Amino acid sequence: MDQTINFKEVTHTYQPDTPFAQNALNQVSLTIASGSFTAIIGHTGSGKSTLVQHINALLKPTMGEIEVSGRTITPATTNKNLKQLRKHVGMVFQFPEKQLFEETVIKDVMFGPKNYGASDQEARADAKQAMALVGLDEDLQEKSPFDLSGGQMRRVAIAGVLAMKPEILILDEPTAGLDPRGHKEIMDLAEDLHEHQGMTIILVTHQMDDVVDYASDVIVMDQGKIVKHGRPQEIFADPQWVYQMHLDLPSSAEFASRLITAGVPLKSVPLTIDKLADAIVEVVQGGHGHE
Amino acid sequence: MKDIIQIKNISFNYPEQEKLFNNFSMNIQEGKWTAIIGQNGSGKSTLARLIDGLIVLKSGQIIVDGLTVNDTNIFEIRNKIGMVFQNPEDQFVGATVEDDVAFGLENRQVPREQMHQIVEQSLRQVGMWDFRDRIPANLSGGQKQRVAIAGIIALSPKIIILDEATSMLDPRGRQDILKLVNQIKRENNLTVISITHDIDEAAGADQVIVVNQGQVVEADQPDHIFGDIEKLTSIGLSAPFTSELLSALKKRGIDSHSQYLNDERLITWIKQLISKK
Repeated sequence: MDQTINFKEVTHTYQPDTPFAQNALNQVSLTIASGSFTAIIGHTGSGKSTLVQHINALLKPTMGEIEVSGRTITPATTNKNLKQLRKHVGMVFQFPEKQLFEETVIKDVMFGPKNYGASDQEARADAKQAMALVGLDEDLQEKSPFDLSGGQMRRVAIAGVLAMKPEILILDEPTAGLDPRGHKEIMDLAEDLHEHQGMTIILVTHQMDDVVDYASDVIVMDQGKIVKHGRPQEIFADPQWVYQMHLDLPSSAEFASRLITAGVPLKSVPLTIDKLADAIVEVVQGGHGHE
Repeated sequence: MKDIIQIKNISFNYPEQEKLFNNFSMNIQEGKWTAIIGQNGSGKSTLARLIDGLIVLKSGQIIVDGLTVNDTNIFEIRNKIGMVFQNPEDQFVGATVEDDVAFGLENRQVPREQMHQIVEQSLRQVGMWDFRDRIPANLSGGQKQRVAIAGIIALSPKIIILDEATSMLDPRGRQDILKLVNQIKRENNLTVISITHDIDEAAGADQVIVVNQGQVVEADQPDHIFGDIEKLTSIGLSAPFTSELLSALKKRGIDSHSQYLNDERLITWIKQLISKK
């Protein structure tokens, strides 16, 4: 199935026809390739969340159109036609554990498939599979989700989305508030879903180290527009530009640019610790430096 | 150096759960920035609530600025402590920013004239005076935390406890809030306790206390704690960036022979390596 995402001149206006009207998206055109791991970055209020909410039609465009896996969303699209699309595009919001509500973990994870018409038996099977995917122990099935740790609750919420077997998964700051171990577990899960389940992953994030470590493509947003779309190396090649966008550099690039400012003649701006270490070794052993 | 908080042999568990603290002791020095780190569920936030008397000890004793935490002293102790929580929305009560900051003062029956002065001064100190008529719910995460902090400094506490106060903010918002708290700590002569799993934040503290499964694993200066990457990882934490870089350089045959260097010292050391060539 063709599951490319295509935005054509999409504009989204909040509170249209009022004095508070505000364009959150401004004639955005973009293509997200099937099977990619795309990070969407941009400072607070740049339009990231508005953009991704168009992909499963939680928001509809004020102007323009969006194509997702062969289905078209226009300003005139009615909710009736969106059920299949929404099943196809899984959306994990910030702090998704706040949306847990059932008495037991398994019931909560089954809720999505049942909502889309699955029988009890089918829903249970899908839920079990989703729980296994996110690494939740079978013993937890009959527990109350509210007795679990924060990291586990978040995985229950993600399992609830995965139980609907989406082909596109949108993660809106999925690691906010987690400790380093929980953070790594969730990001490794996203990588696993991408590599082994073939899902298209769209990650909204402020964590530039995650962008470098996990994403193949990066979209940079500013004032409701896409200002850059490329591989991480291309996005972070110009530190000045990154700062202008009110964004941070990945830790290694940040440290490298401080070294360069301090007079250490690094030849490039490395994005990972290993590449940074290589670059430092090259300078130290290469006989550069003071005469 | 005076210990402003002494925790002596405390034990605590939530109903029907295993013991979180068992005969746990530690001290917090006055005027210092102490970071308490540990993974989710290690008991960090419970500790903050025990100090503030929000939950009650099973056994042991906590002394805050010379007063034992108990029913008699609780209000005096709470006047000494300001808490900033992870989600500021959980603690907003006022209809406007100004009302919200005034709330604590009204509770303490501060005269109106004086109250206006204190509210203005506090909001100016956190850079939010221009937002005084706004509705707190409509502010950004970082702005909300600033208002929460203004509400706290209005009551002139001696101790500020940050309970993962920056974990919901983006990296820039996080740095701004830490800078602000640092400035307020200096100007108002405060003790800061920061409960966090942001390792790079903890690396900037005067003292770091590592808590795991209700026990103090280590209490020391950041230098001594952050060199041991394996140990930090084994309790669910990560190492600061500079420790990771030192370790990567060591693998490539360049050994600093020190466990931990902060940013500045690491840059200085790398510059020295080059000039020796």
